[in-house]
Amino acid sequence: MAGSNEVKANESRMVVPLNTWILISNFKLAYNMLRRPDGTFDRELSEFLDRKVPANSIPVDGVYSFDVVDRSTSLLYRVYLAGGGETELKWGVPETESPLSATHVVPVVVFFHGGSFVHSSADSAIYDTFCRRLVNTCGAAVVSVNYRRSPEHRYPCAYDDGWTALNWVRSRRWLRSGKDPDKEVHVYLAGDSSGGNIAHHVAVKAAEENVRVLGNILLHPLFGGEERTESEKRLDGKYFVRIEDRDWYWRAYLPEGEDRDHPACNVFGPRSETLDGLPLFPKSMVVVAGLDLVQDWQVRYVEGLKDYGKEVKLLYLDEATIGFYFFPNNVHFQCLMDEIKSFIHS
Amino acid sequence: FDEAFAVLGYNVKSSDMAEVAEKIQQLDEAMGSFEREGLSQLLASDAVHYNPSDLCSWLESMISGLNPLSGFESSPDPFLDSSTASVNSCPPRIDLDFGSDLISIPGEAIYPRPPAKRARYPVSVEPPPAAARSLLVDSQENGIRLVHTLVACAEAIQQEDAELAEALVKNIGFLAASQAGAMRKVAAYFAEALARRIYGLRPPAAAAAAGDSGFTDDALQMNFYEACPYLKFAHFTANQAILEAFAGKSRVHVIDFTMKQGMQWPALLHALALRPGGPPAVRLTGVRYSSRDGSAEIGWRLARLAEDVEVEFKYEEITVADSIAELDSSMLDVREGEAVAVNSVFELHRLLSRPGSIDGVLKLVRELKPEILTVVEQEANHGGNIFLDRFNEALHYYSTLFDSLESGAAAAAAADGSATDEDRLMTEVYLGRQICDIVACEGADRVERHETLAQWRARFGSRGFTPVRLGSNVYKQAILLLGLFAGGDGYRVEENDGCLMLGWHTRPLIATSAWK
Repeated sequence: MAGSNEVKANESRMVVPLNTWILISNFKLAYNMLRRPDGTFDRELSEFLDRKVPANSIPVDGVYSFDVVDRSTSLLYRVYLAGGGETELKWGVPETESPLSATHVVPVVVFFHGGSFVHSSADSAIYDTFCRRLVNTCGAAVVSVNYRRSPEHRYPCAYDDGWTALNWVRSRRWLRSGKDPDKEVHVYLAGDSSGGNIAHHVAVKAAEENVRVLGNILLHPLFGGEERTESEKRLDGKYFVRIEDRDWYWRAYLPEGEDRDHPACNVFGPRSETLDGLPLFPKSMVVVAGLDLVQDWQVRYVEGLKDYGKEVKLLYLDEATIGFYFFPNNVHFQCLMDEIKSFIHS
Repeated sequence: FDEAFAVLGYNVKSSDMAEVAEKIQQLDEAMGSFEREGLSQLLASDAVHYNPSDLCSWLESMISGLNPLSGFESSPDPFLDSSTASVNSCPPRIDLDFGSDLISIPGEAIYPRPPAKRARYPVSVEPPPAAARSLLVDSQENGIRLVHTLVACAEAIQQEDAELAEALVKNIGFLAASQAGAMRKVAAYFAEALARRIYGLRPPAAAAAAGDSGFTDDALQMNFYEACPYLKFAHFTANQAILEAFAGKSRVHVIDFTMKQGMQWPALLHALALRPGGPPAVRLTGVRYSSRDGSAEIGWRLARLAEDVEVEFKYEEITVADSIAELDSSMLDVREGEAVAVNSVFELHRLLSRPGSIDGVLKLVRELKPEILTVVEQEANHGGNIFLDRFNEALHYYSTLFDSLESGAAAAAAADGSATDEDRLMTEVYLGRQICDIVACEGADRVERHETLAQWRARFGSRGFTPVRLGSNVYKQAILLLGLFAGGDGYRVEENDGCLMLGWHTRPLIATSAWK
C-alpha cells in the first residue's frame, strides 16, 4: 500500500502548485494525527499546532482588524475594514462609531471559516490572511465568525452561532452604508468547506425569519450523503482527502446515531426541507474545485437550488484542489476574487 | 523565508521547499502504514511537538519519532540512557501525573533534538513594528464612546493642548460613571493617570504608598496571584522549563530575580522531589527589593517544605534597594558543578528606564553560564517614547485585563472561587499602579516599560542568547491548569515560535520565554 501512496503523492504534486501542495499536505498529516478512530479529537494538540495571528488595528496593506467579543453570547468576531487614509493619530483605534460610508454601499461579508466543522478559528493565520485579501480585492468589510466546533459542539451549534452572528452584524450601526445612513447593513454570507455549509443553513433561517441576505458565497462547501458518488470514488485519496476522513467529520458534527442523509449534510436529499415559500432566500455563487472529491454533492446542491427557482451561479475551477485560495499567486485565486467582487457589487 | 508562507504562520525558505515536500512524502508514507493499525495518534500522544512554524524541523521530529514505534518496544529510561542518547533513540517517556501540578519530563538536555535546523535569530537591535491589538468586549456602544474620549484626551496631551486636555479629562469622569464593570474601573484609573499628567502631580513613590497603606508590591502581587491565572501560568511554565533544563543534574541553583513571597517555588520543589532518579540538591537565591517588598519569612517556610518532601535545600536572600541592576556577581555565591537557572517574572522591563542597565544584567546572567534563563513579561509595548502610542496600547491592554478579571468575578460567584473580593479589589489597585506609571510618569520614574515578546527576542538574540523552546507538553499542562481555574473560559494559551503566551480571547497578555 505504501507504493500506491507514493503514486498518489506524485500525481497530486504534478498538478498542484508546490506551495499549496506543501500547505495542504501538512494539514492533512497533522489532522490525521488529531482525529482518533473512536470519534474523539485531540483539541489541545490541535490548538498548539494551529498558527494564529492577532488582530491589528494598524492598517497593513490598507486593511486593519480588531476583535469583538459579544459578552451576551460569548461569540467572538474578527472585523476587517479598509483603512489607512486617516491621519496617523487615529491609527490603532478601531472605528466603531460612524457608518462605513454615507455616500455609497459597502458590502459586509459575514465569513465562516472552514475546517470541516472541527478545525481552525477566526484568528487562524490562513483565514486571517484570506479575509484581509477579501477586503482588499473586493472592496468589502468582512466579519469572521468564531463559531463553536465539533466534536465538542455538534449540530446545530454552528448554525445557531451563524444566525446569532448574522443578527449581531445587522445590528451594528457602524457596519451600515449607503446614501441613507439609516438603511440596514448590506450583508452577504460566505464560507469555505464547512463554512459554506453554515452559510447555506443560516441563509435558510434568515429567509424563514424574513431577514434579507443579499447573497451567498459558497467556496467548495461541505455537503454529502450516504450514497458514494462517482467523484468520491474517483478522487478518493488522490488530492489530500479520503472518503473516510469526510465520514469522520460528519460523524463528529451530526447528532449521534444520525447518518449522512441528515438534512444538514444532504441538503436536497431524501430528508430535505423545502425552499418553497422563502422568497428572500438569496442568490448564490457556488465555487467548485475540480479536484475535490465532494464536487458531485456540490453540483447536486446547485441543481437543487435551480429546481427551487433560486438564482445560482456555478464557478467550476477545473484543476483546483481544496484550499487553492490560501495562496494568491495562482490563476484560480485571481479568478475567484474577480468573481466574488462582481457578485457582491452587482 | 518565503513571504507567502510567512503570513500563514510558517517559516519555510524558498530554497528548502523541495526538501520540505520530500519530508512530507516520507512522513505520509510512514504514517500511511500506521494508520491502518490506528497508530498515527501515537504521534499526537507520545511525541512532544516543538515549534510547528518551522516545518522542516517539525516534520523531521515526526519522522524520527515514528521509527521506534514500529517495534512496539518499550523505550528505556532516558535518564539512565543519557550517555547513549542520539537522534535515533526512542522518544521521551511521558510519566503521567504524580499527583502534583508539574509533570517530570525528560527534556532537551537528555534527548538531543535532530541537529538539522536551529533558527538563527537576526542580530539586529531594531524591534519589529508591533501590532496594535484591540479586543473590544461588551457590545455596549457607550463604552466605545468613553474609549474615544480617553483617546481624544491623550491626543490633546500629545499635541500639548492643555486646555482641551483639561476639558476632556473632566468629561471622562461623567462618562465613566455611566458605565458598569470593567470599563468603568479602567476609565477611572486612566482618567486619574491623565489628570496627574495634566496637573503635574507625580504619583506617590511606591515606598511612600506602601508605607501609608501597607500595600507593598509583593502583597499586592499575592492578590493578583489569587484573583486571576496570569501569575500562576507564569510560574508554572517557567518551572516546567527549569525542570526540563535540570534533567540529569544532581546539584542545582536557582537564582530568582523576583522572589517576592516565593509563590513560585513550592511547586518546583515538589516536582523535583518526584522526578525519576530522585531530587537534586537545591539551592535557591532570592532577590528582594527593600523599596517595594515587605518582609516575610520565606526561607523558613520553603525549608520546612523541602524537609517534608525530602529535598536537600538551602535558601539565601539578597536584598537590593530597588533594581536588579544593583546586583553584581560578587553578591552571588556561584559554585562549581551546579546547574544554574535564572528566573525573572515581570522584572526585566524595569531596567529599561535607565540606559545600560539591561545590558549589565544580561551580561551578569551570561557570566553565570545558566542552563536556562526563564523570563515572563507582559505582552505589550508600553515602553515607547511617544506618549499617545503608549497610551493607546495601555488602554487596550488593561481594558482586556480588567475584563478578564470581571469575567473571573462572575464565574467565581457562580462556582466556588477561592479568590475573594479583596483579592480582586487589590488586583485592581496593583494594575492601577501600573497604569499610573505608564501614563503619568517619565524618565527614570517610569518603570513599567513593558515590551513585546518580539522585542525581547531581538534583544536576547543580539546579546548572544539562544531560545529554549517550550513544547506541546508544557502547553497541554498549562491548559489543564487553566481548566482548574474557575475564572471563565475566555483564557487562551498560544504557542509562538517556541514561547507560550496566555491571553484573554485573542489578545495575548503575558508571554513566557526561555533562553540559554
